[in-house]
Parts: sequence; structure tokens; C-alpha cells
Amino acid sequence: MANPIAWRADLLRLRQVSARHENHEPEMTNIENASTLQSIGGSTVARPHRDFSFSRILAITLNTLTELTRLKVFYVLLVFAVLLIGSSVFMAQFSFQQEFQILKDVSLGAISIFTSLLAIVATARLLPQDIEDRTVYTILAKPVPRFEYIVGKIAGVLLLLAISTLVMSAAFVLVLYLREQAVIHAALTQMSGTPPEQIAEVLATIRSSAFNIDIVPGIIIIYLKACLLAALTLFVSTFATTNIFTIVVMAFVYFIGHLQATAREYWLQEHGSGLLTRVFLAIVALLFPDLQAFNLVDDIVAGTAVSLAVFAKTALLGVFYTTIYTLLAAFVFYGKEL
Amino acid sequence: MTNPAVAVNGLTKIFSAPLHPARGIVAVKELNLRIEPGEVFGLLGPNGSGKSTTLKIILGLVSPTHGHTEIFGRDSRLVESREAVGFLPENPYFYKYLTGEETLRFFGRLCGLHGGRLKERINELLELVGLSKARKRRLGTYSKGMLQRIGLAQALIHEPRLVVLDEPTAGVDPVGSREIRDLILDLKRRGITVLLSSHLLAQAQEICDRVGILADGVLVREGHLQELIAIENQTELVIADASPQLINEVESVINRSKAKLIENRKSTTTLERLFLEATRNDNSKSKEK
Repeated sequence: MANPIAWRADLLRLRQVSARHENHEPEMTNIENASTLQSIGGSTVARPHRDFSFSRILAITLNTLTELTRLKVFYVLLVFAVLLIGSSVFMAQFSFQQEFQILKDVSLGAISIFTSLLAIVATARLLPQDIEDRTVYTILAKPVPRFEYIVGKIAGVLLLLAISTLVMSAAFVLVLYLREQAVIHAALTQMSGTPPEQIAEVLATIRSSAFNIDIVPGIIIIYLKACLLAALTLFVSTFATTNIFTIVVMAFVYFIGHLQATAREYWLQEHGSGLLTRVFLAIVALLFPDLQAFNLVDDIVAGTAVSLAVFAKTALLGVFYTTIYTLLAAFVFYGKEL
Repeated sequence: MTNPAVAVNGLTKIFSAPLHPARGIVAVKELNLRIEPGEVFGLLGPNGSGKSTTLKIILGLVSPTHGHTEIFGRDSRLVESREAVGFLPENPYFYKYLTGEETLRFFGRLCGLHGGRLKERINELLELVGLSKARKRRLGTYSKGMLQRIGLAQALIHEPRLVVLDEPTAGVDPVGSREIRDLILDLKRRGITVLLSSHLLAQAQEICDRVGILADGVLVREGHLQELIAIENQTELVIADASPQLINEVESVINRSKAKLIENRKSTTTLERLFLEATRNDNSKSKEK
């Protein structure tokens, strides 16, 4: 982290700008800027350099998505589909309430595990691979700030996770809908001749135990948990020497993160809530995010509605952690000797 | 006075050992260089002499311990200094899953190129490096020479004024090597400054205007190639269609003077030229069959 080139560069740029202000020199116009670029080393076909560019980030994002897609990480989704179909066939023997309950439990649990797994495995290799293949040299030898490179990489993974979560959720909702229709069809066949009010009551019970709109915020939180894990994996990979190291560290973080809340409660009971304890717990919470807090689906499957306040708080926590880890990754990568 | 394409002033790089900061490795020591626009400059030296480290510092990939470097007058730690530079690293792999065309599109977008201009530039470069037919093939299927050529194309995508090449012909066969050398000479004709590192001396001798020789991180020689390799008190005459009588007369004139004839031998072609001719003939014969 010594001698971070980019900091010095920013400092230098700041000095140049402030010197211009001190000398009461006007800011350069676009035309002057363009002609200066031509004369002191700009290229002739590219646009003048901008300190921050969404199109550069987008190029890295889409390239990362292409990389991960062509590495066939979407095979994970096939495993999910097989699991889903397999479990729905197996569960046909239960009562419809049990069947829907188990289907939701298994599917949402699988979405959570698969997105987390995908987040860690897909992200762990991104930076080390680019450094090993020297592609990072060719990218950073272009006018691309290191911050944009990191943001582009993580955005590519988040896009991949969003697509995967959407596909798995769509498959899950489809299977749930098909099973619901099958149960409704069977109920209607059995209840021929029953008064319409009674039929309507039974159908309402079937429908309410199948799809529940609370599933949607639950899935969003699962996605945010995966985003958090991806950003943390990227941060670890900025200083890790091998992919295996990153994956092992993340496996620890994953398990400790799920146990963290229990450990924290125990610690608070034993040591009270003094300033030192709170600082210590904040550091632990930063290193090992409370992943259990992102597990809203258990309550949803059990039929408990998730309040908007809880959803918003958890979603904000996810966005906060993802941002912090991305910034930390950019910070370490800034000073990295390539 | 115009800015030099590359200026290196008092550059020192020490890589510190992780557990023993005192036992650092000096990669480059007090290096001073000035490369003028339009020159082909060769940074020569054995493996581990500090060539790649120097190039990386010039490109802002590694920070110097002391000293500083500039590209066309801009501090090379500034991201915008790289607008003027195209870089081809040693043995580049790029993204194997991208095709040649996609690779150039990706690097073009990083340089702010878009739409029709980018498309046009991709076509021009694929044509220039002779990869138009392989544009839709993934890089995973490219040969070493093809990879090197697509690498050169990506380095040129934004029409840089300086091209930095780290061992551009390492591991490439003589035919591919000749093609890359021709491309470098073409860049020179277009007025593009080329800074290349190499330990293949015969090749550097053919294309470089000036060279610097690094040994253990220290610049031990630097200057115009012809001046550096000239032997001051010796002269070569190359004569075509000379009869034995003429040769005898020349020898007797030399013997009568104070000069001394050191060697009289038949001119030879280079092994490389022989190889290129032989393989070209074989190729055309096999095509005829």
C-alpha cells in the first residue's frame, strides 16, 4: 500500500488545477483542451480523456459478464432446475400445504446458497486471473483509472447475480404455479357437486398457501446478500495471493457471518455494552457481516409477513456493505504494485 | 523545445522483501533516459536487468522509489498520460473467450471510441496486422504469432503517439517475428515513437535508431546504434561481381599502404533470410500440389 500511484496522480492534478487558480488563469475551453491533447500527446481518434467515464465502466462490466457467461457458470442454474423438478416430483405425495411449504423452503434455500456460491466462486478468480494473464496491464496501460476497473468488475458480477437470481426465481414461481394449478384441478375434480361458496373457500386456501407476495422482498434480500459476498470476495482477492486462499477466507466469513449474531448477543450479556465492547463488535461486524440478518425467507415461508421497515433496513445494510467493500477493494488496488 | 516522447529522470526502483524491508532488491538504479518523438528506442539487457520494471514505471503500473517519468511532458502517474500510449506486454494472453474483433472493440471502448469510428478502426487494424480472416475466431484458438499481432492491434487502437513493446517477438517463429518487425518499421514510417525491450540483439540492431543497455538495473551504454557498434579503425567494402584479378589488385594496394587486410571472405546471407526463403518455397510448392 506504500507509494499509491493513483493518490499521487490525484494530488498532482489537484496541484496543477490549484496553481492555475492561483495564477488567475482561466479554465481551458473544450477546444483548447482538445488542441492541447493533440499537441501534448493525445491520440487522434479517441475523445479527450475524462476523469470518470460510465462508458469505460460499462465496457469492463459487459466484458466481465461475457467472461463469466462463457466460463459456463450458468451451469449452476441447471443444477437448480434439476433440484427444483426433482423435489416437486418427490413432494407430490404430501398434502398441498406441506408440499408448497417444502417447495418454497427448498427453492428459496437453494436460491440463497447458489447465489452466494456463485458470488464467491465467480468473483474470487477475476483479479488474480487478470494479473496472471497480464490482461490487467493492457487495460490499465489505457487511460483507465483503477477505481473504474474495480467498479466495472464488481458491476459485471452483480449483473450476473441479478440474471441468475431472476432466472432461478422465475423457474421457482413457474413450478409453484404449475403445482398450484395441478392441486386446484385435482380439488375441483374431487369437489364436483359441492356448493360454489365451499369451492371458492378451498381455492382461496390453496392459492394463499401457494404464492405469497412477501416472497419478492425475500428474494431481493437474498440478491443483496450475494452482492455483499461478491464485494467482500473482491476485496479479499485484492491482497490474496491465490484463488484458493480467497475462497477459504470467504468460506470462513460465510459461516462466521451466520453465527455472528448469536455470538454478539452472548458477548453483550457477558461484557455489558461499554464503548470498547461496541467498537470491538463494530470491527467484528465489518469483517464478518451478520449474514443471518439477510435471512428473511424463513419467516416468509413460515407465513409471517415482513414489515417494510425491516425490509428497508436490511436492504440498506446490504447496499452499505457492498459499497464499503467495493471502496475498500478499490483502495487496496490503488496502491497495488502490478 | 518540444517535449520528449519519454523522459526518465533519476529513476530508482527497490522491491522490498515482505518480511525483511532492509533486504530490498534494486531493480533499477538512477536511470536517466530521453526518447525523442519518432525514434525507435531499444531497451536491451539480459533477463532480470530491469527492462520490464522500467517500462511498467513509465506506464504508471508500478510506482518508482525515487525519480520520475514523463510521457510527452505529462507525469506518467497521471491516468491521462496514457492517452498517448499503446502497450503490448510480454507474452500477452488477453481474454481467450473473446474473438479478435471483440477484443479490439473492448479496448477501443476503454479509449473512448464508439460507433462507426470504432468499427472502421477495427477493420483498419485487423487488415494492418493480417487478421481479417480470423476476426470471428476466439483468441483461445490463435497461435502465438497471431496473439502477438492482435496485441499490437489493441495497442494501436486509439492511434497512440508512443508504442511500448515488451519483448514483442519472444517465442514467435521467424516468419511471425519478421511480420512484427515489419509492423514496427511501418509505425516508424508513420512517425510513431516506439520503445521496445528485447534481449534478441540481432533484431534490435535491425530496427532501433538508438539503444540503451541495462545490466543489473544500471544503464551501462546508451546512444545511436551505428555509433555504438561502429569499430572506429575498420572499414568494410562489399563488392559485387569482382574478378579474382581485381581482388588481388585491391589486396596488393592495401599491402603497399600502412593499412592491414584483416579478412577476405564471401558475403553470406543471414540464417533467418535462408529460413524465410526456404519455408516460403515449401509453402508455395505445397499450395501448388
